[in-house]
Amino acid sequence: MFDVAVRKTLGDFVLDARFQSKAAVTALFGPSGAGKTSIVNAIAGLLAPERGRIAVGDAVLFDADAGVDIPTHRRRVRVVFQESRLFPHLTVRQNLVYGRWVAGKTASERLDEVVRLLGLEDLLGRRPRTLSGGERQRVAIGRALLADPMALLLDEPLASLDRARKQEILPYLERLVAAAKMPILYVSHAREDVERLAGTVVMLDSGRVKSVEEIKR
Amino acid sequence: MRLPFRAAAFAIAFALAAFPLPSPAAAENAPVVVFAAASLKNALDKIAAGWTAKSGVAVKASYGASPALAKQIEEGAPADLFISADLDWMDYVEKKNLLQAGTRDNLLGNSIVLVASPDWTKGEVKIAPNFPLADLLGGGRLAMAGVAMVPAGKYGKAALETLGVWNSVANRLAEAENVRAALALVARGEAPLGIVYRTDAAAEPKVKIVGTFPDDSHPPIVYPAAALANSKNPYAEALLRYLAGPEARAIFEKDGFAVLARRTSS
Amino acid sequence: MDWLQFSPDEWDAIRLSLRVATVGTFASLPAGLFAAYALARWRFPGKIFFDGLVHLPLVLPPVVTGYLLLILFGRRGPIGAFLESAFGIVFSFRWTGAALAAAVMGFPLLVRAIRLSFEAADRRLEDAARTLGANAPLVFLTVTLPLALPGILAGLVLAFAKALGEFGATITFVSNIPGETRTLPTAIYTYTQVPGGDANAARLAAVAIVLSLAALVVSEFLSRRIAARIGG
Repeated sequence: MFDVAVRKTLGDFVLDARFQSKAAVTALFGPSGAGKTSIVNAIAGLLAPERGRIAVGDAVLFDADAGVDIPTHRRRVRVVFQESRLFPHLTVRQNLVYGRWVAGKTASERLDEVVRLLGLEDLLGRRPRTLSGGERQRVAIGRALLADPMALLLDEPLASLDRARKQEILPYLERLVAAAKMPILYVSHAREDVERLAGTVVMLDSGRVKSVEEIKR
Repeated sequence: MRLPFRAAAFAIAFALAAFPLPSPAAAENAPVVVFAAASLKNALDKIAAGWTAKSGVAVKASYGASPALAKQIEEGAPADLFISADLDWMDYVEKKNLLQAGTRDNLLGNSIVLVASPDWTKGEVKIAPNFPLADLLGGGRLAMAGVAMVPAGKYGKAALETLGVWNSVANRLAEAENVRAALALVARGEAPLGIVYRTDAAAEPKVKIVGTFPDDSHPPIVYPAAALANSKNPYAEALLRYLAGPEARAIFEKDGFAVLARRTSS
Repeated sequence: MDWLQFSPDEWDAIRLSLRVATVGTFASLPAGLFAAYALARWRFPGKIFFDGLVHLPLVLPPVVTGYLLLILFGRRGPIGAFLESAFGIVFSFRWTGAALAAAVMGFPLLVRAIRLSFEAADRRLEDAARTLGANAPLVFLTVTLPLALPGILAGLVLAFAKALGEFGATITFVSNIPGETRTLPTAIYTYTQVPGGDANAARLAAVAIVLSLAALVVSEFLSRRIAARIGG
């Protein structure tokens, strides 16, 4: 489902990673500075590799040799960022339906479903700055989920949360994994998160893939 | 420590250049300051140059609309002589006791004309009662000095009223600050027609005179001149007498002014 | 309070100033947004010259700006003659000319303020919008612009206040026609030039002060409200 090969030089750092995974949840695991976020950005279209090929499911998003580089907004690869990146000038509800709104569609029935899934009922009319870190991440997950994704990338979604919030959110993530019917890439530097959720674990260090492990569930 | 020193030297040199110290020689003969109606510029500049060559005393002339000059004099502007374009503004200054007694006299006369812009194609205009001024303007405006206050504007309005045309053009004016500004509007083609002094039209090659206002359509145009009470310049009166003298008369008449002052010997 | 009675001429000047400043400022907003965005986000050859051109009215003596406007947009100027024959738009001696002068003089202030707020807009939020499917125009309209709103407002107010006070370029370009181009500053100037006009000048000056203060207060209030809604 994920077929990724990217090469890019960023200053002194050379990213040269290649991996494939057919699991429902692929974990990208490694220490800080390993290049995990760069890979997420490359898959999402926020970073242009110098060489390589990126395919998610049947869709080829990038292929240097074939001259393919689908623009970000057409990739349908939705991202949950580490710092949530909710739109501060919109309410929670408006954030959630943003993806459908820019596509010119009205909010679907899925809105209620996702709101229930992530426990967002009481937050809908509020603005992001009034929410706690954990609440913001739940909204960010909901926003990505509601935007008709073809794949989901979660870039260290729990990293900015304290232990209690993390414990609070993990069940929601598990529900998400169960409910989502698309490939998920889960980036983390914390082993426990990865072990709870992943089917395939890609170990990344200093810009290179060290190992690809399948976890039997 | 060379940079700060050089910077300081530069700053001092700059300041000296911007604010020259008065030289002792100049203090002896302070220039005579003349406030004169705008229409006098060409003639007066030449006359002043001639007088300075003879007397060795400089002249500083400030030209503007007579009401503006009158107001500045009233507020204490350091003028030695005042030449107004009508009697009203000289009367104004006189009533404030700002004139030197016995120095006021009528110096010049003038007439007003209708001038047209360089792209004027409608030829001469016969200025007679009820002449079709509004039609001639087309979509454009009639350039005049301010009709409420400035002499050239007042004379022009009086003439238009006498001829019965004022109402047709009262809201089609381009009022300028003084008569030379009105002249410039016509010269630039911004206004198709304008009312200025004959002497102004003669001084500006870009405009053509297309009509003359009869002298009896407006009050007589009289330029009085006087020395100001607060003047401390001993050469002021000499210049005032020179303005009525033969050299000045020749220049004034050449530019088209009527000289009203009695003939004197120089 | 007899001295507070405004004459019809004075009301004309006040109304005209408000109209000229409003129209001039808002008409220049699209160009201001474009210029600010280009300077904040794009790289292109000649960017420095473009930046200089935008700022020219700020450093040129206003009468020089007015003179240049006269040469270009006057009845016989290349642009003015074309606009008149093609669209019937005339600037000479008309309030439209005063509005143009006001817009040109306020433009650098408008662009500076908006540019700063575009530069401050969080690019990461724009990236997030792109990952959610928004193309470049939608990102601009739904994320960049709303976030830049306090700066845009500040720029508008600055430009408006400058337009209210614009004198040198206006009087050089479109003279001083009561009802058409005699704005507040020009009217005040005219009154100070004639004996007996001091009371009128003082009254109008007071109005100018009140209007400018009001503009500042309103902009501050709106800016804070918007920033509070956006903040975080």
